[in-house]
Amino acid sequence: MTSAHLAEDVLSSPSAQVVVDEHLRLLDDPEEWPQFSQADPTQEGCWTSSVVFEGMHCAACAISIEDALRQVPGVKSVQVSAASHRGRVVWSARQTQPSVWMQASAAAGYKAVPANDAHAHERRRQEARRMVWRVAVAGLCMMQVMMYATPAYVAEAGDITPDMLQLLRWASWVLSLPVILFSCTPFFAAAWKDLRQRRIGMDLPVAIGMIGTFVVSSLGTFEPDGPFGAEVYFDSLSMFVFFLLMGRWMELRMRERTAGALEAVLNRLPDSVNRRTADGHWERVSIRRLAVGDVLEVLPGEAFAGDGTLLAGQTQVDEALLTGESRPLTRQAGDAVIAGSHNLSGRVELRVEQVGAATRYAQIVALMESASVHKPAMAELADRLAKPFLMGVLLASAGAAIAWWPQGPGHAVMVAVAVLVVTCPCALSLATPAAMLAAAGALARSGVLVRHLQALQSLSEVDTVVFDKTGTLTLDSFGVARLHLREGVSPDLAWQLAERMAAHSLHPVSRAMAAQARQRRMDQGQAAETEGLPPGWVLTEHPGQGLHAQWPLSDGNVGFLRWGSARFCEAPELASDRLQVSLADHKGWLATFELHETLRPEAAQVVAALHRRGLSVQVLSGDAEPAVAEVAGSLGITQFRGACSPQDKLQAIQVLQEQGHKVAMVGDGLNDGPVLAGADVSFALGQALALTQSKADMVLMSGRLDLLEQTWVRSRQTLRVVRQNLTWSVAYNMACVPLALLGWLPAWAAGLGMALSSLLVVLNALRLSAALAPAQSVN
Amino acid sequence: MDILFLLIPLSVALVFFILGALWWAVHRGQFEDIEAEGERILRND
Repeated sequence: MTSAHLAEDVLSSPSAQVVVDEHLRLLDDPEEWPQFSQADPTQEGCWTSSVVFEGMHCAACAISIEDALRQVPGVKSVQVSAASHRGRVVWSARQTQPSVWMQASAAAGYKAVPANDAHAHERRRQEARRMVWRVAVAGLCMMQVMMYATPAYVAEAGDITPDMLQLLRWASWVLSLPVILFSCTPFFAAAWKDLRQRRIGMDLPVAIGMIGTFVVSSLGTFEPDGPFGAEVYFDSLSMFVFFLLMGRWMELRMRERTAGALEAVLNRLPDSVNRRTADGHWERVSIRRLAVGDVLEVLPGEAFAGDGTLLAGQTQVDEALLTGESRPLTRQAGDAVIAGSHNLSGRVELRVEQVGAATRYAQIVALMESASVHKPAMAELADRLAKPFLMGVLLASAGAAIAWWPQGPGHAVMVAVAVLVVTCPCALSLATPAAMLAAAGALARSGVLVRHLQALQSLSEVDTVVFDKTGTLTLDSFGVARLHLREGVSPDLAWQLAERMAAHSLHPVSRAMAAQARQRRMDQGQAAETEGLPPGWVLTEHPGQGLHAQWPLSDGNVGFLRWGSARFCEAPELASDRLQVSLADHKGWLATFELHETLRPEAAQVVAALHRRGLSVQVLSGDAEPAVAEVAGSLGITQFRGACSPQDKLQAIQVLQEQGHKVAMVGDGLNDGPVLAGADVSFALGQALALTQSKADMVLMSGRLDLLEQTWVRSRQTLRVVRQNLTWSVAYNMACVPLALLGWLPAWAAGLGMALSSLLVVLNALRLSAALAPAQSVN
Repeated sequence: MDILFLLIPLSVALVFFILGALWWAVHRGQFEDIEAEGERILRND
C-alpha cells in the first residue's frame, strides 16, 4: 500500500505547473473526456463528469455550486457532495463544453478540477499546505498575543504604567495583523462570495465576528478615550481564529482519511504501461493509448492497467480493494485478472481485453463516486434547516448587541461576536454525511459496495431478509445425490460416458457434470479422456431435451448415445422430484444421475447469524416447491415459497411491506431486477455482475454471503452515530446560544466550542471507518 | 523596567523571524508526510 502511494506521488508531481486556463481549454478535446467522464447511454450526446471542487467548506457551498452550474445551458443535472468535495455533472456535448461549465463554477468561487486526475491530487496538496501555514501563523501569533495580554489580566491597579500598557496593546495589534490579514482570509473570502450571490453561508457570521472584534480592539488601541473604551480583545480574536482553523484543518485531514477508500481505488491504475510493439520490443506508453488486444508486461509491484488474460508467467495478485478478498490469489497463464488489482510476486504478460470505462475497476469507481454524491435524506434536511438558522443567528446577535449596548459598546460587540461564532452550524451539516461516508468507505474496503448512502439508512431498519435460492443460497454447480444404473452397467462406465457427452454441451447441468466426472476420474488416478469425439461420431443437440450422438458400427448398424432429460432417454420414473440427467444407448435407458444443489458453504452460518440478530429470514424462488423446501429445510428457514414468477416475488415482498416489515432482498442481481427494486434495500452477489446494470443498492463483490450480517450491523451503528451527531450538534447550539446571549461565554471559548463540536462529530463518524470483522474462513 | 520598551518590540520582531522560518518549513513540505520519514528506516532501498 505504502509503495503504491509513493509511486503515485512520484508520477503525479510533474503535472503541478499546468496553468489553469490552459488546462480548462485542454479539457474540451473529446479525447480527454473519458478520463473524467462517462458517456451517458440513455441520453444521446450526454456525458457524466466527475469533478473535485476546491474552496468548499460546508453544505451551503455545495448548494451554491449546484445553483451556479444549473444555470449553464446544456448542463442537465448536478450533484455535489459537501463531505467529499466531489461532484457529478451531466452535460450535453452539443450545447456546452467542459471548460464552459468549469468556468461557471470558478466564477461562483469554486474551481472545478476533473477527478481521476493527478492534477486534482496536486492541487489538494497545495491547499493542505496553505491550510497548515494559516494554522501556524494563527497559532504562533496567538501565543505571543496572549503573552502581551497576560500582564493586563494579572496586574494589580498601578503595577503597570499606562504607557507600558499602551505599548503592549500596540504589540498585540501588530501581531494580530497577520492573523486578520492572512489567517482569516478563507472565512472572509467565503463570506464575501456568499454576499455577492445574495446568500447566507456559514462563514458570514464568523467573518462578521472577526471583523467586529478587530475593529473594536483597534479603536481601543488607537483611541482609548473613544466610545469603545481602552479594552482590547486581540487575545480572544487570535484564539478563536486559531481554534476555528485548527478545527477546519483537522476536519480536512480526517475527511481525506475517510475518503481514503475511494481515493485508494481512484489512484490505483498506473499512469503508463510497458506495451509490446509489433516487432516484439517493449515500449512505455500512456495508459490512455491502451487498446483492446495489446500485450503488456506487468512487473511485481505494479497494478494491472486493464482487465485481461495472462499469457505468460505466474504470480500472486492482490484484489483486496476490488473484491474484498484479502488473501493473495495465485494467477497463471490463461487466468483472468482485473484492472486495478496488484501484481505481487512475478513478472507476467497480459493480453488486454477491456480498457478504460469498460473495466470492472472503472465500474466500481463509477459506483463509488455516485454513492458519495447522493445526499441522504437526513443530510438534505440539515442543509435546508441551516439557512433559516443562520438568519436567526444574525438577528439574535444583533439583538444581543443592542441589549448590551448600555453596559458598554465594547462589551456589547463582544457578546454579539460570541453569539456569531458559537452557533456556526458546521457540526449539524457534517453530522450525517460524515458518518455515512465513513461507513461506506469501510464497507467498500471489505468488499461491499454501497450504491447510495440512503441505502445504509434503509438497511438499518430492515427486519426481514428474503433470499433468492439459485445462485444466492446455492452455488451454480450441482452434486450427484444418487446414481441409478441399468443392470450390468458399472458406475465407472456411466461416468465415463457422461463425461464424454457432457463435455460437448454448454447447459449448466452438463458443465457441472463434466467438471465432476473429470474430478472423479482424477481422484481415481485414471488416464485423461482423449480430447474431442472418437472418429465417426456425429453430435446433434436437441434444444430443451438433450444431446444425441451417433456413429457407424462395424456391422453396418448405427450406434447411438443420448444425454439429457428423462423423457429424451426414456428413463424410468424416479421417486424423488430432484433434478436429474440421464444416459441412454441403443439398448435403451442406461443410467440416471439424480442431482442435488450445492449450498454455499457459508449459507447456513449466515442464516443462523441473521436469526440470532432477530431478523426473520425467508426464501422466495422460481424453482419447484420441493427443491426449495429441501434447501430451506437444510438451512433452518421455515418460511419459503417455490414456483414464484418475478411478479409473485414482488407481490410477496409488497405483502410483507404492507404488514409493516422492512425487507432486504438478496439475489444474484441478474434475473430479479424488479424484485430488487421493490425491496427496501437490495443486495446483489457481484462476482460475474455487470455492476453498472445491476439495480441493487449494495453489491457483495466477493460473491460471498458472509458479509451480510456485518453490513447490517454496520448500518445500525451508522444510524446510531448519525443520531448521536445530530443530537449533539442541536444540543450544543441550544445550550451555547443562551450562554453567549447572557454574556457568559467569551469569544475565544465560543471559537473553541465550535471547533470542538465539529471535530467531535467527525471523530464520532470516524469510529465507523474501522474494517469489518474479518469473515470467518469457510474453506 | 525601561528595558521592556526595547524587549517588547524585539519580541515582535522575533515572532516575525520565527514565522519566516515556519514559512520555509511548511512550503518545503516538511509537514506533509510525517509518517514516511519514520518508516524509511525500515525500508530496504
